[in-house]
Amino acid sequence: MVMRVSENVKYSTIVDNMFGVQDSYNQLVEKVASLKEINRPSDDAVGMTRVLNLRESIASIEQYSRNIENSQSWLTITESKLSAAGDLLVSAREVAVGQATATGDAQTRSTEAETIQQLIDEMLTLANAKYEGRYLFSGAKSTDTAPFSSTGRSAAEIGTASSAGANTFDGTVTSSGTYTGSANKTYVAKITDWVEGTRTATYNVSSDGGETWTTTGATFVLPDGGSVATGDIGDGIVLTFEDSGAAEPAADDVFYVNALVAGYYSGNGEELSVNIGEDTPFAYSISGEEAFTDEGDGTVDIFGVLTSLKQALESNDQDGIADLIDDLEAASGQISANISKCGTRTNRLELASTNMTDTKLNLTELISVAEDADVSEVITQLSMKQIALKASYSVAAQIGRLTILDFLR
Amino acid sequence: MSGIDTLNIAKDGLLSHQTAISLTGTNVTNANTAGYSRQRAVFSTTEQSVEIIGIERIYDHFIGVQINEQTNNLGYSEAKKDALDRIEMIFNESDAGGINELLSEFWGAWEGLSANPSGQAERLTLVSVSQSLTSLFRSSGDDLLAAQNDANARVSSLVGEVNDYAADIADVNNKIAQSVGSENDSGINTLKDRQETLLASLAEIVDFHYVRNADNSVSVFLSNGMPVVDGGQSWELDVVADDQTSFYNVVFADDPTVEINTSLTGGSLAAYLEVRDTTAVGYINSLDSLAAALASEVNTQHGLGYDLNQDAGGAFFYFDVNPEVQEARYLKVSTDIVSDVNKIAASATVDGDGENATSISSLQNELTMNSNTATFGAYYSALVGQVGQDAAYVNRSYKHDSDLLTQLINKRDVTSGVSIDEEMINLIKFQTGYNASARLFVAAEELSDTLLNLIR
Repeated sequence: MVMRVSENVKYSTIVDNMFGVQDSYNQLVEKVASLKEINRPSDDAVGMTRVLNLRESIASIEQYSRNIENSQSWLTITESKLSAAGDLLVSAREVAVGQATATGDAQTRSTEAETIQQLIDEMLTLANAKYEGRYLFSGAKSTDTAPFSSTGRSAAEIGTASSAGANTFDGTVTSSGTYTGSANKTYVAKITDWVEGTRTATYNVSSDGGETWTTTGATFVLPDGGSVATGDIGDGIVLTFEDSGAAEPAADDVFYVNALVAGYYSGNGEELSVNIGEDTPFAYSISGEEAFTDEGDGTVDIFGVLTSLKQALESNDQDGIADLIDDLEAASGQISANISKCGTRTNRLELASTNMTDTKLNLTELISVAEDADVSEVITQLSMKQIALKASYSVAAQIGRLTILDFLR
Repeated sequence: MSGIDTLNIAKDGLLSHQTAISLTGTNVTNANTAGYSRQRAVFSTTEQSVEIIGIERIYDHFIGVQINEQTNNLGYSEAKKDALDRIEMIFNESDAGGINELLSEFWGAWEGLSANPSGQAERLTLVSVSQSLTSLFRSSGDDLLAAQNDANARVSSLVGEVNDYAADIADVNNKIAQSVGSENDSGINTLKDRQETLLASLAEIVDFHYVRNADNSVSVFLSNGMPVVDGGQSWELDVVADDQTSFYNVVFADDPTVEINTSLTGGSLAAYLEVRDTTAVGYINSLDSLAAALASEVNTQHGLGYDLNQDAGGAFFYFDVNPEVQEARYLKVSTDIVSDVNKIAASATVDGDGENATSISSLQNELTMNSNTATFGAYYSALVGQVGQDAAYVNRSYKHDSDLLTQLINKRDVTSGVSIDEEMINLIKFQTGYNASARLFVAAEELSDTLLNLIR
């Protein structure tokens, strides 16, 4: 049986086919224009998810690369400052060796003492050097005051107690006691509970600047309008709270105090670190403690040795000068050890950096495979669709012309 | 047999062909009328003459039922496609500047701060990136809500349309019932076409089944068996705001306490109800839980650190609504931090290192989402993937449904549609018939003349 072809069927077939071709033509045009295979999530949901995850990886790699570059610059500057310090120590040793023999006399030693003073001043400039506004050798202590001072402390000191800016307590807090610790540290006390009725505060203490806490459960009772001293909050430090009669202590009030051992250094022994990979912290700084002091990881108090040398020269103490030659030797050794530490770290950064570049390249390629359109293929398809579109237009133009009406007179 | 009989036969022939020719005219002029079924005069022999015993409407009832079902499917997938196209745009991350990219920048800004914890530039960058991120969370949340509200508004307007169609069907039912006994009339065929068109229009909105009554009227029932139209009577639907969600519930106007949302399972009404109550809700919940987890994780870690004033870190993010609900559309950066970047707690100690910034940045690799199985980034990518998949699915079913409907409509038109060529040939046929009848008239007249001349 022959199928009837009604007018609607004739035209709707043409229109539907034309729309079909136009739709796929437009999709191809979009791909050519954006050069992307995925222009919206529904184009390829799995591919889109993959692309987003890859982009996230690339973004973190870019950040890690920036961290690596910063660390490299930091280490380069550190290394140059340290090698300059090494040169100063060589000069100091030459002076010591020269003046440790009988050829030297009070006159020459007094002159050389001045040379050493200049070396000390120069050393101080190096040890207090900054990079991008930050002291290279202050450990993990960001402070406005230089980490090294020309005049040393003869004994340990407990700094002024400070209150954090947002504390509720508006009385005063002072510090006292004798510091028995072996390195520069920041002690923090944090109120965990305040009972108004009994005027009792419970507090925790930290000896590492508030990063980790010792839950002591220790308490103090602050008399109304009076003052009270806490027990030893660590290494002999005592805080005294004095009530102002106004706001009382409250939970989360933070009080801190810097404790410094004898010597020239006021920074701490921590190192600064950044991530150079996923969960890969990398310490990029050399602490002043390690490079210039005999505390913590350091073994030679460089400023102490130089000052002793100067004093020995001034007092014309030939034996004293001779004794310091070994110390100067050890000081040079300490600086060299830290220079090579910089070198090792720089090498590790270079490896990481190469690795990052490779990974980034791979990821970029994967993204491109997932989302970029194969231009030559898309354009081929586009010209095919163009032909199909032209054909359907031409058929559409013909459709009305063929009717029996033309043959009836 | 007399000459008068021949004249009568000729008259019947002329009249019948006249009717057939005028019906051809009706068909030709309605060649492009949607839903028009072509009509045909049924010739029949009476004694020795001819008469038109009926005007047949060429229509396949079974295709009509299939078209209604498919229209219902298409109504559903078209409405869903319309809603999802809009939602997909909210999650379109194919270009830069989406939540995914800003999240990466956010973690990067913390890393940057960890390298220079006291740097004002780094702090300002972090605040500005965080503000862009929260603002995108807010606008995405708002847009999703707008899509949901839009679906809700459509529910209301579609219910109005259902009422209009139901009333029209009842009206047509009445007219058809009144014309019982005049089935041969072309007018009743027009009414039947109108009935089919109205049923198809209704099918686009709701799914129903219907029965044809003896008087050719139809009764329409929702899938729960409740009648919407019964003969000449129709029942109005209405919308009432839900007590909890304040979204519209569909009810019968005469029984406003019984919600019938779940009885609507097909057509555009069901699609918008589903988008509003399930699809959009799912996306909104996912985005909200991402915002809530991000705020809570970052705030917790931020609280463990110290700012440049040696204070313990406060909340970094908050939800700007009272009482607080953890929804993406309210997420903001703490106003304290925006006004004083020194309040960013980058340090793990009061000494001002950058370790807490590193810890916060490391949250990007923590499996915090989806019962500790996904990172923030992976969770969001999966959400985008989900939206994409849903959109791709409705796009496919929309295409499928619309292709199928086109095929069915073509199938109907093959039977019921008008072919001009065919009508022209019919015209020639009927014209010839008419001419022949007219010739018969002349012949009969000549016969009478001959007879009369005999008498003279």
